[in-house]
Amino acid sequence: MLEIINLKTQFPSPDGLVNAVDSADLQIEDNERLGLIGETGCGKTVLGMSIIRLLPPSTRIHGQIIYKGRDLLNLKEEEMRLLRGKEISMILQNPTTSLNPVLKIGDQIAEVIQLHKDCNRKEAKTKAVEILAAAMIPEAPKRADQYPHELSGGMKERVMIVMGLASQPSFVIADEPTKGLDSGTKAEIIRLIRDMTSGRSMLMITHDLAAAGEICDRIAVMYAGELLEMASAKTILHDPQHPYTQGFINSLPSRGLLPISGSSPSLIDPPHGCRFHPRCPWAMDICRREHPQIIKLEKGHFSRCFLCA
Amino acid sequence: MRIEYLAWRIFYSLLAFVISVTLSFVLLHAMPGDYLHVILPHLAEKNPLATELFREQFGLDKSLFEQYVLYVLNVLQGNWGYSIQYGLPVTEVILEKLSWTAVILLPATLLSIFIGVLIGSYSGWTSGSLGDSFIFKIMIFLGAVPSYWWAIFLILVLGFYLDLFPLGGYMSITALDEGMKLHDVLYHAALPIVALTLTTVPGVYYLMRNSMLMIVGQDYILAARSKGLSEIEILLRHALKNAMLPMITLFAMELAHVIMGSIFIETIFSWPGMGFLTFEALRVRDLPLLQGIFLMDTLIIILANIAADFSYPLIDPRAKVGEIG
Repeated sequence: MLEIINLKTQFPSPDGLVNAVDSADLQIEDNERLGLIGETGCGKTVLGMSIIRLLPPSTRIHGQIIYKGRDLLNLKEEEMRLLRGKEISMILQNPTTSLNPVLKIGDQIAEVIQLHKDCNRKEAKTKAVEILAAAMIPEAPKRADQYPHELSGGMKERVMIVMGLASQPSFVIADEPTKGLDSGTKAEIIRLIRDMTSGRSMLMITHDLAAAGEICDRIAVMYAGELLEMASAKTILHDPQHPYTQGFINSLPSRGLLPISGSSPSLIDPPHGCRFHPRCPWAMDICRREHPQIIKLEKGHFSRCFLCA
Repeated sequence: MRIEYLAWRIFYSLLAFVISVTLSFVLLHAMPGDYLHVILPHLAEKNPLATELFREQFGLDKSLFEQYVLYVLNVLQGNWGYSIQYGLPVTEVILEKLSWTAVILLPATLLSIFIGVLIGSYSGWTSGSLGDSFIFKIMIFLGAVPSYWWAIFLILVLGFYLDLFPLGGYMSITALDEGMKLHDVLYHAALPIVALTLTTVPGVYYLMRNSMLMIVGQDYILAARSKGLSEIEILLRHALKNAMLPMITLFAMELAHVIMGSIFIETIFSWPGMGFLTFEALRVRDLPLLQGIFLMDTLIIILANIAADFSYPLIDPRAKVGEIG
């Protein structure tokens, strides 16, 4: 379905080139939901934005992103635009700022349907109300006629999800869909995403490991622009091999709230050798000298660590 | 809530009006010279009786405070006094000139809003592009040139050298025989309209460009892109409506300025509008008329402000009049 080969995404900045995504390789199969986990600023949103190509014009992107046999990075902007929303859609983070404040909810959803589903405005609006109702939004017709500021945070998140899936795209990128929600609402949102994306491929960007565990088939862990570990959701949650993944899991409230010491490295000048070595409790000499390659541990489980070799 | 808000609104408007009446009364009477000294300096010297009769006729023999109280009472009853210069009720004179001012200022204002919004949003949307920096530089130039320079330049080049347009006035001499013709008036109005538009476009342009610049980086624009909408669809459907919000107040103020007229433009083109009227009234110290003109300005600005406040909710659903403030 989607194959990312040696993707490098860089931004020029006054302090130098920011390597937001560095040599990422990733495959997402048909009907597979992949979770992309990492702390804030590790480059996971940039990776998602690289796929749908919605980064500022000054961004430098190298590598290949093969979608249904075509390299997205080689498409002209106009060809890419025709794919956006129709084949590949994105559920942006921060629903409060991502919904247009002066347009009605129903119209913002109908817009996508009308654009990609070959129907007129009225049919699109009826359809929009139908999907809102299907997304368990109470009083859907009334909601469709409201403006974003009249909805609660959880409701707005639902609208974002509905909007991202309204045109039934084959590939969805969901960016932090569970961010800033209380636990009850979060559970509902997780259920909604799971139901609405079944039978579709999805890349779910999140720092919420529990949410990823419930929704995704596989999980990839990202750190300082690099992919460190990749395995089935179950393996990542219960048998992680990379020290960073282990640390990340131990920092969860349910696992003892033990933070990883130190802070994320700079993406302009990342540490030499293994990027995690300054914070790694098991760092060895080789970790400081050499940059580890990603290695296959068993079927479907990869890790970038000398300890696992 | 709404009724209460409206009541406060009316109260404050009335307060602003009364303060404005008082201020202009005080300022105008603090000005040296009076009508008699300007128009009939010798008569005043030679025939003191005529002077006295004149003062009595217009109530100028009363104390200033008495004049003020009488004036305020009369204004509130709709009597704005008589113009000394014209011998007609002030309101009548103002309404007549106002319609002439509208002939040039209404088209010029609408034109500058239309052009300013159009190129301003283009410029903001494509900020940093070649087109944007080109337009931006032109607008800096336009904004730096005063209105009277444009008026003189247009008269000189298009009127005098090329002989395409009349040098001034508001209708041809033939109108004496044939009566006033619309196309003749418009022909005379063309240059003043162009001069006015050129001077007001930059203001609208800057505000619109700025407003659009703030919108371009918003998340909902990114969201619109992720839906696969084309740039023009995003601009028209998502950006423009948001970018227009700060413009409403500007529009209201621009329209309010319509009634004040443009003193420079109307004087240079000998256009018989409010600007010209103000200039003349000031020259001959026609105090009742000046006072009336200032009152009219105040009134229109107050009304324009109220209109702006009430039109906000039409564009922005978050603004509900009477619930905020």
